[in-house]
Amino acid sequence: MIVGLGVGFLAALPRLYRIPVLQSLSKLYASFFRGTPILIQLFLFYYGLPEVLKLQGIDLSRVPVLVFVIATYGLNVGAYISEGIRSAVTSVDRGQIEAAYAVGMNGLQAFRRIVLPQALAIAIPIFANVTIGTLKDTSLAFTLGVMELTSKARSLGLLAQHFMEAYIGLAIIYLMISLLLERAFQFIERRMLRHEQPISSSKQARSFKLWQKRRPAPDASLNKGGQ
Amino acid sequence: MIKLQNITKSFGRLQVLKGIDLVVEKGEVVAILGPSGSGKTTLLRCINYLEKPSDGEITIDDFTVNCKRPSKKDIHTLRGKTAMVFQQYNLFRHKTALENVMEGLVVVQKVEKEEARRRSIELLEKVGLGNKLNAYPSQLSGGQQQRVGIARALALNPEVILFDEPTSALDPELVGEVLAVIRNIAKEGITMIIVTHEMGFAHDVANHVVFMDEGIIVEEGKPNDIFVSPKEERTKQFLKRITPEGVYSI
Ligand SMILES: Nc1ncnc2c1ncn2[C@@H]1O[C@H](COP(=O)(O)OP(=O)(O)O)[C@@H](O)[C@H]1O
Ligand SMILES: [Mg+2]
Repeated sequence: MIVGLGVGFLAALPRLYRIPVLQSLSKLYASFFRGTPILIQLFLFYYGLPEVLKLQGIDLSRVPVLVFVIATYGLNVGAYISEGIRSAVTSVDRGQIEAAYAVGMNGLQAFRRIVLPQALAIAIPIFANVTIGTLKDTSLAFTLGVMELTSKARSLGLLAQHFMEAYIGLAIIYLMISLLLERAFQFIERRMLRHEQPISSSKQARSFKLWQKRRPAPDASLNKGGQ
Repeated sequence: MIKLQNITKSFGRLQVLKGIDLVVEKGEVVAILGPSGSGKTTLLRCINYLEKPSDGEITIDDFTVNCKRPSKKDIHTLRGKTAMVFQQYNLFRHKTALENVMEGLVVVQKVEKEEARRRSIELLEKVGLGNKLNAYPSQLSGGQQQRVGIARALALNPEVILFDEPTSALDPELVGEVLAVIRNIAKEGITMIIVTHEMGFAHDVANHVVFMDEGIIVEEGKPNDIFVSPKEERTKQFLKRITPEGVYSI
């Protein structure tokens, strides 16, 4: 996730600032990782990449599986995050940036003080979806033989011959973590968007309405939840 | 003093400003009139370089920028000498009224925070918003937002404030409060260039009126020269279209 944030931020920059070649690269990157199933990506990285690199004389056979898994998830999440950041930043209206320049700020100051805080607030729900989606996707890493929650449950199940209990327990754990994350994100979002809430009124209802009114922008394809 | 020489601006093949020359004396209030699409907004935006002029020279006091090859520093200096009030207010939405006004002082002019706060509160009181210091833009009416916008511009203590149709996004009943604030600061001798369609206001407040059409200054002069005895046919046509019969026929 952290890797994803970093990658996503880096990948979003070229397109925000329209840097020629990098811009197309970042576009290609985002559409590849968003357009193919994570399972295939895992396989490609875990089985395909070492083969390709072996031809170049680089041996990856001693790199632990976990590294591949983290790298793949990082790149995958990064693709979604970069799209999220891009759409959030472009939805901060141009007028405020001009006002910042008119006040005398330089590009960096305007970005840091005016654009970024608002873009982050807008991007929170996107981050939330991606995080929770990724959490669930971790179960796929099992296919590579990494011991994570699912595979733990499976070995436990094998030992005890109690498959159902083990999987139900697993579902509950995933659910609890998801709910917890959801709550946390809701809290952060409400705090960061407090400037969009008229003082006197039921907070939740209003913030939802404002949400619909002010930002239809972050497109639906960003919702990654479950696969 | 502000001096524009041969300011030219094209968007692609469309030439929007065709060589504007204008001198604005210190303390003068200039009203720019003209039909929509005549290049008024573009001219204002060229003065603080939100739009890059294709050619020409901008002088504010003793500082001159050659628009053909300005340095980053030139642009920064120019923006330091100007402030702008926007048609759509363009307040920073994640900041309170007070923070909006303080922002430029603290971030750009590096004024100490307490001092910036003191000056900002004073200005917000002056525009009648002493009781809205901690309100966010989403909690303010259009008229109140625009008054914050004016306070934000005043805070920078600029050589000139540029107003781009400051009241045309407002509901009619809110126009008055904003015009009243501008009238007030006009009395203090701050140099202002105001694009407006409020003819009565322009007549009263301005001491220099400029009529633009199709990217050139067609006619300029004292308010009475333009409103009462315009010389150019285009000016007459425009005023006839925009002012109700008889208002300025004294
Ligand atoms: N960014 C832009 N790109 C292309 N054309 C523009 C741009 N901004 C303004 N124009 C054109 O320039 C002309 C003058 O616009 P503007 O300065 O906004 O006029 P006014 O403020 O007098 O109504 C219009 O024809 C407008 O379409
Ligand atoms: Mg305009």
